[in-house]
Amino acid sequence: MSTVSKGRPAAVAEESEGDMVEKDYVCLSEESSSCYVGGKGDDGGAEDEEEELELGLSLGAKKATGGGGNRGGAPWRDYCRILTAEDFPSLVSRASPLSSSSSVSSSATLVGGGSAGGAASRRVIVSGLPDAAGSANPPPSTQMVVGWPPIRAYRMNSIVNQSKDNASSNAAVTTTPKKTNEKSKNITKEVIAKELEKKGGLAGNSLFVKVNMDGDAIGRKVDLNAHRSYETLAGALEAMFHKPTSALGASILVGGSGTSKLHDGSSEFLLTYEDKDGDWMLVGDVPWGMFLSTVKRLRIVRTSDTSGGLAPRLRSSKSSGGLGNVP
Amino acid sequence: MAIKKKKELDTEEKSPENRILSFPDEVLERVLIFVKCHKDRSAVSLVCRDWYNAERWSRTHVFIGNCYSVSPEMVARRFPNIRSVTLKGKPRFYDFNLVPPNWGADLHPWLVVFASAYPFLEEFRLKRMTVTDESLDFLARSFPEFKALSLVSCDGFSTDGLASIATYCRNLTELDIQESGIDDLGGSWLSCFPDSFTSLEALNFANLHSEVNFDALERLVARCKSLKVLKVNKHVTLEQIRRLLVRSPQLTELGTGSFSQDQKLRSDADLESAFSNCKNFNTLSGLWEVSSVYLPALYPVCANLTFLNLSYTALQSTELAKLLQNCPLLRRLWVLDTVEDKGLEAVASSCHLLEELRVFPADPFDQEVIMEGGGSGVTESGFVAVSEGCPNLHYVLYFCRQMTNAAVATVVRNCPNFTHFRLCIMNMCQPDYLTNEPMDEAFGSVVKTCSKLQRLAVSGLLTDRAFEYIGTYAKNLETLSVAFAGSSDRGMQCVLEGCPKLRKLEIRDCPFGNAALLSGLERYESMRSLWMSACNLTMNGCQLLARKMPRLNVEVIKEDESDDMHAEKVYVYRSVAGPRRDAPPFVLTL
Repeated sequence: MSTVSKGRPAAVAEESEGDMVEKDYVCLSEESSSCYVGGKGDDGGAEDEEEELELGLSLGAKKATGGGGNRGGAPWRDYCRILTAEDFPSLVSRASPLSSSSSVSSSATLVGGGSAGGAASRRVIVSGLPDAAGSANPPPSTQMVVGWPPIRAYRMNSIVNQSKDNASSNAAVTTTPKKTNEKSKNITKEVIAKELEKKGGLAGNSLFVKVNMDGDAIGRKVDLNAHRSYETLAGALEAMFHKPTSALGASILVGGSGTSKLHDGSSEFLLTYEDKDGDWMLVGDVPWGMFLSTVKRLRIVRTSDTSGGLAPRLRSSKSSGGLGNVP
Repeated sequence: MAIKKKKELDTEEKSPENRILSFPDEVLERVLIFVKCHKDRSAVSLVCRDWYNAERWSRTHVFIGNCYSVSPEMVARRFPNIRSVTLKGKPRFYDFNLVPPNWGADLHPWLVVFASAYPFLEEFRLKRMTVTDESLDFLARSFPEFKALSLVSCDGFSTDGLASIATYCRNLTELDIQESGIDDLGGSWLSCFPDSFTSLEALNFANLHSEVNFDALERLVARCKSLKVLKVNKHVTLEQIRRLLVRSPQLTELGTGSFSQDQKLRSDADLESAFSNCKNFNTLSGLWEVSSVYLPALYPVCANLTFLNLSYTALQSTELAKLLQNCPLLRRLWVLDTVEDKGLEAVASSCHLLEELRVFPADPFDQEVIMEGGGSGVTESGFVAVSEGCPNLHYVLYFCRQMTNAAVATVVRNCPNFTHFRLCIMNMCQPDYLTNEPMDEAFGSVVKTCSKLQRLAVSGLLTDRAFEYIGTYAKNLETLSVAFAGSSDRGMQCVLEGCPKLRKLEIRDCPFGNAALLSGLERYESMRSLWMSACNLTMNGCQLLARKMPRLNVEVIKEDESDDMHAEKVYVYRSVAGPRRDAPPFVLTL
């Protein structure tokens, strides 16, 4: 694994990126910074994907339009800039239909950093979102970096839940900003609430779980309550982790309908989750509600890494009798 | 007159000559009982041997800021008479998911030792500890005098553990589980308090999701005449709150449940009169799902309110303004940024005694709002407004999406007494949005003006200059939180060299490397801990630190299959207990 793939400041990734010929973006600055001990250590081509993601999701400065003044003493900043809609007007979007959870939609504005402009870079993290925006110059988003902004998970869940409650309740609640209404439009809170009530009373709460992907140091989070089925979840994850150069675009495999999917090579990625017992299971084997009640976190696994099948690492939940039971 | 050295203080058998010549230990101990603050007690223990002994015998409360800095056996050996223990476990960044689960900080080993050393233990106040149901059960059965359990931001237990506490702690006065990640298996635990149980003074289960049996709750509240603090969860309705208030007008702190439309509420007047009967409220929180039509019911209790926690209530500015008009004595206010700048202006005009303000984001990730240009949340003008109306402000936690250097300078000019300044510009590395400059000058003005500053959290686009300012001026700084900031090792070096009182330094995603880490070699033993994640540290650098400073625990967290050179998450802390013996496989002690 590359040294850069562990959530390090984007600068390191950028620096190696600049070396790669295939990249069709323009690095803001190509001089290497000497303050990064540990160097690049990338292996070249194979690591492209990590760095791309790296850039998109880690640090970013607002576009330094001020020129030199901003950069004084901060060469590092030049590397880790998050492109704004100005750079990629076609790729910034409003709410994606998939992602009513704000955590996922915010990734819409996460794009690879470093370019001074133009739509040159195709290293966009989110794909296929309707280019509804075209708005002039939205400020950089709060990226989906783990633990930022620094709000305790407990408060985060309560707050998000609160705004959803307000959005959908009919009572004389004057507290709803209409913006929140738009955000939660695709989710019927009642449905989710019912499912979660089975889980023991987390009525209406959001359920953020971490998602990691092989080869990607930066963990994301996804609100499972924003989805009602494996399909939408998989779609949201694809959008989150999309890299145009990889086969991820084909689909993230949500397993469970038998071994044929595992082996037909239609996707090089598998979606797995860790359950309450600490076992890693294939996503899709159990009913959605049951999945919600046992999932602790998700992991997108590269099938090419696991020669000889996933058996040693994963337990298929086929033993529980569920087969292809994706709602 | 020679003062004879006292013998080891284990006995009352001192010869009379000694008693006359030296200050009797017993008297000293009696005097020291009045010294409560743990920092003062530490100072007392360093005076001389006699004072060390007197202090250790007279101490009843021990505060352990890092559970791995000392072992429970050592505590038990030194302090024979402890009644109350405060323990903090995981690094603070655990709250933001930067520390993997199963990292440690298990309470159980402490319970086992203390069960025999301190059978009369009365209080546990825990923060970020791992507590299991087994531990809670063990606690409940091992300490017959147990009175107060406070679990802040703890996890690992379920409502079954609470049931054990309720069942066996006959003398319980306080049960507070705020913000703990609890496995909520249902509300039946509350019904486990026996009918003979009447000692409860404080109960906080606000973060639980499942419904408790309301009859049991009402009866509990009715028979606990000393109940002062009651914070219920969302499921408790308005009508139920009314009934509870009728039973306990002596409450001083109330956390309401849902404050929304309730068919069962007979009339608004009833609700208001229930509140009016409560003359002693100083703290109000909860207020989930508020229907603003019911807010006026609160006005009678607002007159004496000193702490109002609206951080779970999506209020609009006009509602807040009306409410605050009734709260002239408010000292602490927590709100959501739905109140916007206008709401903060209302704060400034109504609450002149305000000392603490926390503004939380209602929607930290919502991009739509920004792009629509509507701008939600609060900005620099709200911040300035509050500073103009509230000169006593000394604690601020402010989440916003835009800020300027000039605004911050104005704020600290208006309020130079900040002790805690935590500003979070939610977009990472964002400069002053008007001048496009880094936010260095903002924090420069904070440290230059606020000489009493103890805690600082920085954000926005920051170069090393900001840290130069901190190192130069922040001489009372004890806690510093840094994320996505700085340009080189020099930044961190400035802080380590310049801040003599620094105790806790937590850093994430900054370009600080081994040189910076090692520049603090001499400092870490006088600090509680250092956290660095996603910086430029390597295993070599950390190993060097570990080798040079054997009394520090230098721990590296290695999560995934990774490159062996890079030290992704590093936690350094002083310890007299040596390396952890319970470290999980992903924690490497160097």
